[in-house]
Amino acid sequence: MENNNNSFDQDLVYAIFKIIWSRKAIEREKNEDAEYSKPEERAGTSKRNRPTSANSNALKLSCELLRLFVTEAVQRAATIAEAEGGSKIEATHLERILPQLLLDF
Amino acid sequence: MDPTAMEIIGYNGSDIDNEEDEEATNHLRDRFRLSTITIAESEAKENNMVISQPVIGCISDLAFKYAEQLAEDLEQFAHHAGRKSVNMNDVILSAHRNKHLADSLRLFSYDLKAKEPQSEKKRKKSSNKEDRAPPSLVHIDP
Repeated sequence: MENNNNSFDQDLVYAIFKIIWSRKAIEREKNEDAEYSKPEERAGTSKRNRPTSANSNALKLSCELLRLFVTEAVQRAATIAEAEGGSKIEATHLERILPQLLLDF
Repeated sequence: MDPTAMEIIGYNGSDIDNEEDEEATNHLRDRFRLSTITIAESEAKENNMVISQPVIGCISDLAFKYAEQLAEDLEQFAHHAGRKSVNMNDVILSAHRNKHLADSLRLFSYDLKAKEPQSEKKRKKSSNKEDRAPPSLVHIDP
């Protein structure tokens, strides 16, 4: 359970995903029956356009992926800060590692 | 929102949806930032470093954007496989460009699978179906 303190909340990540997915589902619906023009129709009313969901292990894995992103950012910035002889991670250190970090994820 | 924009959008209420959407997103972004602060600070501590708050804010926003991108990728991967639900393979696939990252995610996924065989029993049928490749695609006569 100590992992809980040090990782993202599964429900939080699911909520973030859900917003994107239901937005996409609404878009799909609009695109598909544009000729019927039923704008009040929400995502999930028709079975074909139901928003995507995820199983719990996939969510845990996504949490881990995001946690790795954050820890990698901190660790790489810490390396630069250390090389410069400081003990505080500043924005300049983040700037230095950012391009490679974004390429790696 | 100004009236001209309303006219462009039309009166289907999608502007209201967008506002609600944005509010919910902002709320999630704040919660996400709190988690990021915990993770980043403990990670900095392990490296015997102090991390300044603006840096954590940046990292949090980046990670949030990454999460949103990840959501879109995962959805497309799942749909491409003909599924409505995202599974672990999709998440691993999303990291395929970085071999080390993909490997460490794969390890983590094995841990997850090994850790909870009991709680999986209930959903065994569905999760097995999702985690394995669909068998129907394989048979092609030479």
